[in-house]
Amino acid sequence: MSSAHIEIKNEAIQRRRYRLLMTGMFILLVVVILLSFGVGYYPLSPSQVIMAFLSKFGYTGDLLPQAVTIFWNIRLPRILSAVFIGASLAVAGSTYQGMFRNPLVSPDILGVSSGASLGAAFAIMLGASDALIQVSAFAGGIAAVFASYLISRKSAHSHTLSLVLTGSMIMSLCNAGVTMIKYVADPNDVLQQITFWLMGSLTKTNMASFRWSFLPMVIGLGLILIFRWQINLLTLDEEEARSLGINIKKYRMIFIAASTMLSAAAVCLGGMIGWVGLMIPHLARALVGVDYGRLIPASAILGAGYLVIMDDIARSVLSMELPLGVVTSILGAPFFIYLIIKRKERT
Amino acid sequence: MLLEIKDVYGGYGSGDIVKGVSCYADSGDVLCLVGPNGCGKTTLFRLMLGSIPISKGSITIDGRDIRDMSTKERANLIAYIPQYHSPVFAYTVLDIVIMGRASHFSSFETPKTADREAAFEALKKVNALHLANKKYTAISGGQRQLILIARAICQSAKIFVMDEPAANLDYANHQLLMEVIGDLAKRGYCIIMSTHSPEHPFSVGTKALMMKAGSVAAFGPPKEVITSESLQSVYGIEMDVFTTRDRYGVERTICLPVKGLEANSLKEV
Repeated sequence: MSSAHIEIKNEAIQRRRYRLLMTGMFILLVVVILLSFGVGYYPLSPSQVIMAFLSKFGYTGDLLPQAVTIFWNIRLPRILSAVFIGASLAVAGSTYQGMFRNPLVSPDILGVSSGASLGAAFAIMLGASDALIQVSAFAGGIAAVFASYLISRKSAHSHTLSLVLTGSMIMSLCNAGVTMIKYVADPNDVLQQITFWLMGSLTKTNMASFRWSFLPMVIGLGLILIFRWQINLLTLDEEEARSLGINIKKYRMIFIAASTMLSAAAVCLGGMIGWVGLMIPHLARALVGVDYGRLIPASAILGAGYLVIMDDIARSVLSMELPLGVVTSILGAPFFIYLIIKRKERT
Repeated sequence: MLLEIKDVYGGYGSGDIVKGVSCYADSGDVLCLVGPNGCGKTTLFRLMLGSIPISKGSITIDGRDIRDMSTKERANLIAYIPQYHSPVFAYTVLDIVIMGRASHFSSFETPKTADREAAFEALKKVNALHLANKKYTAISGGQRQLILIARAICQSAKIFVMDEPAANLDYANHQLLMEVIGDLAKRGYCIIMSTHSPEHPFSVGTKALMMKAGSVAAFGPPKEVITSESLQSVYGIEMDVFTTRDRYGVERTICLPVKGLEANSLKEV
């Protein structure tokens, strides 16, 4: 029986290790966020950052007025956007991977991003305002997932399989639509704008656009965080999951709705930022294991930190700003390959 | 009576596959379902688990119709132990066992200390506590079956439905599993298991249900159900059923497919 005690003790040690890891990651995230205020075309020193922050609360010291504007109007919305987009994409990715029992699934599996791109491209073509482009992108994303879901219910295949199949069908339909709009768009103006939007970038984010996406992100993150442990049951066979007492249909609806809101809001705010939703869940699994009780919080923190750092790189590495989507792909792909190889060696 | 199935019909929409099955089992029973592929064993399981609707008849547990129960209530009474399976994600053994607690805490929560203790306790009962922190995907098929049994214990259901528990197991693990099943029955669980071996009802079963084309061919004590005649009528091959004693004097029953001289001579030509 002494070996038995060891296993119980080991489990307790692992739990403590997890709490320590999460605390460490959270502190690291806060540090990264604070340092990020200093990074960019106009670098700010840490003391300038603190003074700029305090200026809003009546601090009047030796400070350039530009620093205050950069802090509050440019960097703050941008960093907040990176934090929330990163967390949203990573959490949506983790959730979808569990629901579809496939670790290669990304948040776009049901056509959210493609639908949102079509919505945005359409609005840009019509010359809509920035706010309207966001609304149109959001509506497009939701409509695409809704279509996937409704069509899949008519299919005779198993539910999961038909969802993935109709999802990829909707995706290619939306992509065809985007290509068509790009083809007919005015290359001097509209085409550039669409291309820029599709590349994914946080350059244009401001407090107003962040506020738009904030609510759906908080609702989506909240729902998934609350019910996160139930995702474990959805990774099992349907029969098995039901026998354990979960209402599969209800939770599938909740998780699809929440993940869709997250992905659509993320795309609205930052355009097409690839890789985060696929890669971060794998990184999180390598760190905290596959239990969704731990995986979702870890994905959120890692996703947020990752995108903040990527955006720092995008705006500081060259004299001109790089599109964020390009940075996440260039740096994300090799890292992902490394992760796959390393994981294989271990097992 | 713990579990009572009365003249049940059901299937997958295109028509009934189970046609008028009646049987019952009490706590301490091991009810073995035998019959050829496609005779409706799995469909009967699905009906019992509430995965597919019953079109006629009724299934009751402790006198309550399972159709009147919520998914959670059903999970507290009847647990499903699937065949050797491998989840997509590399859960630890403890993660898997704790999933059995899903019907015991609110869906807003994650497992608490009490749930972890219940999981350790269940692992102890199947002598698998030493596996607790191992990856479920890295242990053997026999061990996985034990872990799934621990999960069912953890679920605190009274009835365990096991879909061909012996499939995919090597000989030693097979024997071990049968011992575990017999042990569970002694502790008062009611085990319903499907099997392809006509000998299982004799070694662990207290009751046997023989099915053919969706209906009951025979139901009752194994000795009455599994006979040379009934096996031939259901499987369409000649079988002998021997009862003998092993070296410790325990009565054992063996089912043997037989070939007449005719069949042998055909082979030689």
